[in-house]
Amino acid sequence: MTLVLASQLPALIVLLVLGAVAKVSTVRSGGEMGTLARLGPAALVPARIEVPVLVVCAVGELVIATGLLVSTSPIFRWMAVAFFAMCTYVLLEVRRRRPDAGCGCFGEVSAAPVGLRSIARTVALTGMAVLSLWAEGPGWPVFMQPSWFMAAGVVVLLVLSPELEEMVDRLRYRAPCEQRPGPAMEVTLARLRSSGPWRQHHEQLAAVEPYDSWRELCWRFFAFERRDGADVVFAVYLSGRRPAVRVAVVDHEDSGALPVYTPVSA
Amino acid sequence: MGYPSVERRRVLAAAALGREAGVPGSGEGDPLRAVMGDILDISPHLITIETPEGAEERLVIAPWATAWHGGDQAPSDLPVGSTVIMRTLRDGRVVERLWADITRLTGTILSVEGRKDLSVQLDCGPHRGRRTIVIPYRATGRIMVRHARFEPGFLFDAIGIRKGEASLALLPATSQPAYPARAVPAPPPAYGGLQSRVSGTATWSDVFDEEDRGAAYPMVERSDVDCPDAEVSCTGLPYLALGSMLQVRNICTDRSANVPIVACGCVAGRFCDRCVECDTSPRGRIAELSPFSYVELGGDLVKGCFNAQIGLG
Repeated sequence: MTLVLASQLPALIVLLVLGAVAKVSTVRSGGEMGTLARLGPAALVPARIEVPVLVVCAVGELVIATGLLVSTSPIFRWMAVAFFAMCTYVLLEVRRRRPDAGCGCFGEVSAAPVGLRSIARTVALTGMAVLSLWAEGPGWPVFMQPSWFMAAGVVVLLVLSPELEEMVDRLRYRAPCEQRPGPAMEVTLARLRSSGPWRQHHEQLAAVEPYDSWRELCWRFFAFERRDGADVVFAVYLSGRRPAVRVAVVDHEDSGALPVYTPVSA
Repeated sequence: MGYPSVERRRVLAAAALGREAGVPGSGEGDPLRAVMGDILDISPHLITIETPEGAEERLVIAPWATAWHGGDQAPSDLPVGSTVIMRTLRDGRVVERLWADITRLTGTILSVEGRKDLSVQLDCGPHRGRRTIVIPYRATGRIMVRHARFEPGFLFDAIGIRKGEASLALLPATSQPAYPARAVPAPPPAYGGLQSRVSGTATWSDVFDEEDRGAAYPMVERSDVDCPDAEVSCTGLPYLALGSMLQVRNICTDRSANVPIVACGCVAGRFCDRCVECDTSPRGRIAELSPFSYVELGGDLVKGCFNAQIGLG
């Protein structure tokens, strides 16, 4: 019986940690895009405290998860029960007041409007938390001894997660490279410096830093000045680990294109 | 990192990728030319202006020409001393449309004050700063009916006239989007890869340099243009750079032109509206043109937008 009672602790802990991480990363990446206004608890509060609400939520989740993992204190277990019961209430409220808002449970992945599945998931989680109230040991030993009850709990949660389908769709229908935010300029510059065309040209360059850099479609261009005054321009493809690199040398006075070297791939 | 010469980028990019560098200019059709200047003298058939370079020019006013100065007027009624933008035919000699002292007020509402005449403070984006405008009492009805959320944080777009230092908003330029300025909807998912042509609406703005031909484009990389508000659009736009050549086609008049991107369209990208100039366009502002480019593509400054299609020139 003790096995049954403690079996749901790992699922609760993992889910709490995942939720906290996803919320924090959403706040860090999407804060200024105004997407927060459409996410879960943040949809119910005024705009200026959206970010604090999500952060407080994430910190609370982390505290509960740590407590469940290492201690047997009933305080953390009751906190988990209270947390998931409150989540259920918040989701019902979001569904009633902002039918267009996502639940935000896992940050911006949960942007789809709150459905019955999301609510059923928090109800199931509340049930699991209640079950764990009477567990004897802390959470970490249960990780060592996986059981069928634990697997059953995980399956129930997976079935009730609309985010899974969302992630599969995102992988299948990824925006084309031209519309995706590219890697940072330093990363692209590092890729350029490990490429063949760079090795051919870098000794003739007047400076190691480009004097101009810009992105167009799926290419990032770096313009360097050569010692003899001509411009060397490198174009680095923004997709892939070892991207294609093209290079051309353009005379300074010449306004027309004068590609001296044929395109080379790294 | 500065931009030593954005025109140079076009040449360099074309050389690296082995393609033709686009040239600015208009395409086929009887070319329209935009001319700008201060009115020195005007009669029903002839207008004399002083151009921004200081030269004096005399142009013929076509018999069918119309003028706008806060409302439709006969060209000869325009006040001497006002700044006019004109659409001209025959190599810039014959005027067929005149807009006097026209200005466009686009931005996010920061504050609204006043009871009869409203004084509105607008945030026009990181490059354009703040602007205080006045909505005269007679225009409040027309403007408010198209701006349902007339409160701080929401978008504002109107066309008006400059009177001395003040800018008066007279006509709404769009139906205000229903979301706050910082909550622009995400673009629809791109299923079939990148489209070579993107449709939407093209608007104009008067914050470009005088007589400049160019466009502001929302989808430019933030680190390239040093603009924290860029990369926002509700249309699936490809990333381009300052200096890239944009082929803009006015679907309503079937004119097209190559226009260089000269600014970051961080305010235009926040508008997810449609243009109903000749048909209902898809949502989203894909380019904000300088008045000269806009007029030469056959757009009417008072209408505020045209249905457009863009491609890489």
